[in-house]
Amino acid sequence: RLFSVLRFESVIHEFDPYFNYRTTRFLAEKGFYDFHNWFDEMAWYPLGRIIGGTIYPGLMVTAAAFYNVLHYLNLTIDIRNMCVFLAPLFSSFTAIVTYHLTKELSNSGAGLVAAAFMAIVPGYISRSVAGSYDNEGIAIFCMLITYTLWIKSVKTGSIFWSVLCSLAYFYMVSSWGGYVFLINLIPIHVLACIVTGRFSHRIYVAYTTVYCVGTILSMQISFVGFQPVQTSEHMGALGVFGICQIVSFVAYLKSKLSAAHYAIFWQALYYLNLWVYNINVQYIFTISIAGKIAPWTGRFYSLLDPSYAKNNIPIIASVSEHQPTTWSSFYFDLQMLVFLFPENGISNFFCDLFQFQYFNHLKMFLTIPPYQVRLMLVLAPVMAVLAGIGVNHILTTFMKNLDTVVVKDKKGLESAISSFIFSTHTPMTNICINYPQISTGVVLLVSVLLSLFASHSVWVTSEAYSSPSIVLSARGGDGGRIIFDDFREAYYWLRQNTPENAKVMSWWDYGYQITAMANRTILVDNNTWNNTHISRVGQAMASTEDKAYEIMRELDVDYVLVIFGGLTGYSSDDINKFLWMVRIGGSTDRGAHIKESDYYTPTGEFRVDAEGSPVLQNCMMYKMCYYRFGQVYTEQSKPTGYDRVRNAEIGNKDFELDVLDEAYTTEHWIVRIYKVKDLDNRG
Amino acid sequence: ISALLVVFATVCSCKTKQEILEDKVKQLTEWSNRRTVIQMNTNKFSTYVKTKPRNYSTIVMFTALDSKRGCSVCREANDEFTILANSYRFSPAYSNSLFFVMVDFDDGSEVFQSLGLNSAPAFMHFPAKGKRKGADTYDIQRLGFHADNLAKWMSERTEVVVRIFRPPNYTGTVVLVLLFSLAGGLLYVRRNSLEFFYNKTFWSIVSIFIVLAMTSGQMWNHIRGPPYYHRNPQNGAIHYIHGSSQGQLVAETHIIMLIHGAIVAGFIMLNEAHHPKADISKRRDSILYSSDQMFYSRYGLATPKEQIPYKLHFYGYWRTCLGCFLSQLTHVHFPTKVPRLSLQLPS
Repeated sequence: RLFSVLRFESVIHEFDPYFNYRTTRFLAEKGFYDFHNWFDEMAWYPLGRIIGGTIYPGLMVTAAAFYNVLHYLNLTIDIRNMCVFLAPLFSSFTAIVTYHLTKELSNSGAGLVAAAFMAIVPGYISRSVAGSYDNEGIAIFCMLITYTLWIKSVKTGSIFWSVLCSLAYFYMVSSWGGYVFLINLIPIHVLACIVTGRFSHRIYVAYTTVYCVGTILSMQISFVGFQPVQTSEHMGALGVFGICQIVSFVAYLKSKLSAAHYAIFWQALYYLNLWVYNINVQYIFTISIAGKIAPWTGRFYSLLDPSYAKNNIPIIASVSEHQPTTWSSFYFDLQMLVFLFPENGISNFFCDLFQFQYFNHLKMFLTIPPYQVRLMLVLAPVMAVLAGIGVNHILTTFMKNLDTVVVKDKKGLESAISSFIFSTHTPMTNICINYPQISTGVVLLVSVLLSLFASHSVWVTSEAYSSPSIVLSARGGDGGRIIFDDFREAYYWLRQNTPENAKVMSWWDYGYQITAMANRTILVDNNTWNNTHISRVGQAMASTEDKAYEIMRELDVDYVLVIFGGLTGYSSDDINKFLWMVRIGGSTDRGAHIKESDYYTPTGEFRVDAEGSPVLQNCMMYKMCYYRFGQVYTEQSKPTGYDRVRNAEIGNKDFELDVLDEAYTTEHWIVRIYKVKDLDNRG
Repeated sequence: ISALLVVFATVCSCKTKQEILEDKVKQLTEWSNRRTVIQMNTNKFSTYVKTKPRNYSTIVMFTALDSKRGCSVCREANDEFTILANSYRFSPAYSNSLFFVMVDFDDGSEVFQSLGLNSAPAFMHFPAKGKRKGADTYDIQRLGFHADNLAKWMSERTEVVVRIFRPPNYTGTVVLVLLFSLAGGLLYVRRNSLEFFYNKTFWSIVSIFIVLAMTSGQMWNHIRGPPYYHRNPQNGAIHYIHGSSQGQLVAETHIIMLIHGAIVAGFIMLNEAHHPKADISKRRDSILYSSDQMFYSRYGLATPKEQIPYKLHFYGYWRTCLGCFLSQLTHVHFPTKVPRLSLQLPS
């Protein structure tokens, strides 16, 4: 998990983690109450954002707590390092918890194997590398510890463990929106126990406690608020809670009444139930009409029906995290666990039945359809646990025979093996036991598989999950690694050379980074809550200079920042994102004059060269990206102004900017910053 | 006299014009009653659509449906166009002033030439009066060929407003009904002994099947609907494995599902092999199976050079690694679906 620190340095990755980093810094400096009441005027200028009420604070609180404890012990660690290393730290906790979880489900040997799997499964590493300071990093730990404590409380039926479980659940709620998984999974487990007749006092005590305490605790998070009693996602848990009461009440009466009385009661209950059911249905119907229960959110629908997003919500469908999973990404993220985990279903057949084993199955069932890429994260622990149990089972059974019998001579063994493999008529009782070589073979095979899994995981981590994306790297002509540090260069320039109250306009992808690293006010950021505001920025980027100037004056913009990859070949730059700016810009009333078709050639292509649409070649984004680029040679045997991402010579080379001054361009031209000119001195 | 003659001639020609027009409309109505989309060749097209005296407008789809043309889009476009035509046929706006026509490239390549068309499918509107304008050619690049968009364009051009009525898709319902009746039937037949319902093996097999279906990417297939296999139009070679890392073909997932199934079976047998009740033949199988499995896994990590002889397996697995590498790079954030980083450096 520390590859990226070794290879680059201790930096925060990606985009969202920068926001988390900034808020953590605030929390560590100002304390919790200031953090809770924080109104952030540096984002979403001029609207601002209420930070305290719109985030899951678990991550920041955890990091700040560690930070304070360490400082109390006079270990003066930097807050940035705390943030960078928090996810790897928590993944080691996760491994320990996995051990305990699997131990509860099976035995300690399985626990050990599962913990080892959990430590290296790439699906989990992808979200817990150093620098990936995001909610998921600690959420998986919370999820597993809640599972563990839940199983513990079901096993013991004690209120103590149940309360601990609800505390773990509270921690989970405070750190990730994915807690909805838990609040649906546990009730389904209880329901399955009721249906299969395994409901007991222990489950009753455990579930009642966990539901009541957990729900009340979860409502303390201001971002969650009254959702647990108002939204459809949480209604299943409430329903199961009610069923629990009814079932245990009936069981109680049964134990107190004679058989004849119970029969009468049962009849009465039947009618009563009908009546109650009727009332319930009416009640639910009324309140959902009245809008008291929020309907399922779009994301939840897309979990149930995978084609929902595609047909109805393009913005959800377009996020690449929500893409469906191909078989290859399963293999990539789980490798051998893909084959190992189903066997547990069979091997359980031989075990005695315990209630909690149903839980295991359920978990498997529920997390099976991760047809969205990001859900792989939830699947990975389950796979690790199940595979751990399976591998442990194989190893323990075959290990036993490794040195029970000493083989007499080599020849005998060979003939035995050949008869074992090739012939069917030799009676072959106890060959495995008589010839430990077969056991050796199996054990060897499993060890080879395990070591392959380990090397696969290391390779995946090193190649795919360890690039911080704020520092870019590439292979040079001589095979050496070249580092592009343009982003930080530009942000640092902004920090040092602009007035403190300057407002920077950029596309929203870079909002969090600019506020965190340059400490300047921005218009839009990655928390895309206000579509019209983003649209306004999109309109400025897509308009001609004079139109854009009006918008920029209106929004008080001082600097404009664009990302340009034409010189280095960095392909996720603003020109490639430009069509989204046009689409989003044109999606509101004020941007009705921006039409996507204007930015295409008559044949419907998006081109930057001389054949490209003139509207495109005169818009702000084009001019800001390609200003002075027409005089630069980028590749041998190509004319000046050759864009290496689009592989084309740009169409509009000679132009001057009227309303902007070029303020700064980084070493590799990846970030370009422009200053918006003041109004003319006309008097 | 000459004036009279002229008048007479014009009246005559008018009459014949009228007659021709009536004939044409009659003919077209007859055709469109038979099939809502009238298929035309070059001759018919020039008489009924191009030649002037007409009081009806036509919506023409130019397409290439022959399978040897390899135009899969054309078939989808054809379906949408038929839906549009049928919706028009059964809508209150139906009259004999608008007809739907289809010209296949193999029947009327001259038409394609005369209109300067070099791609299919294309949609055009031929108005009853006046010349064709730019907007009479439907912009398929931008608007796609969805029937709703076609109808919108049509209403702009002809002022005939049609509500698209799609024949409902009953397959899902039928499958569900079948499934329920099967399950119900099974329960009814076995109503005296419902123990199997509590049988763990039964549930295990069900769950393993679901797991295999999911891990082999059937959900992806369900959402994206890739073709079963891909045929190279140049040399006719058939590919069962998708070339890029971001996609997959249905055949490929079935192969993967089989391989995974075999490996899983091997592991289950390994588990079972040592159980006292398991019989010996299973044990032997299990050992064989697991050695299979070892090979697969080895391929998974083999270097590209080693891969060549065992093309099928590892091509898949290896590409996986590369593919996911890319897909993971792009996994965060928004619409920008371009790879996060593909740097080229000045040499």
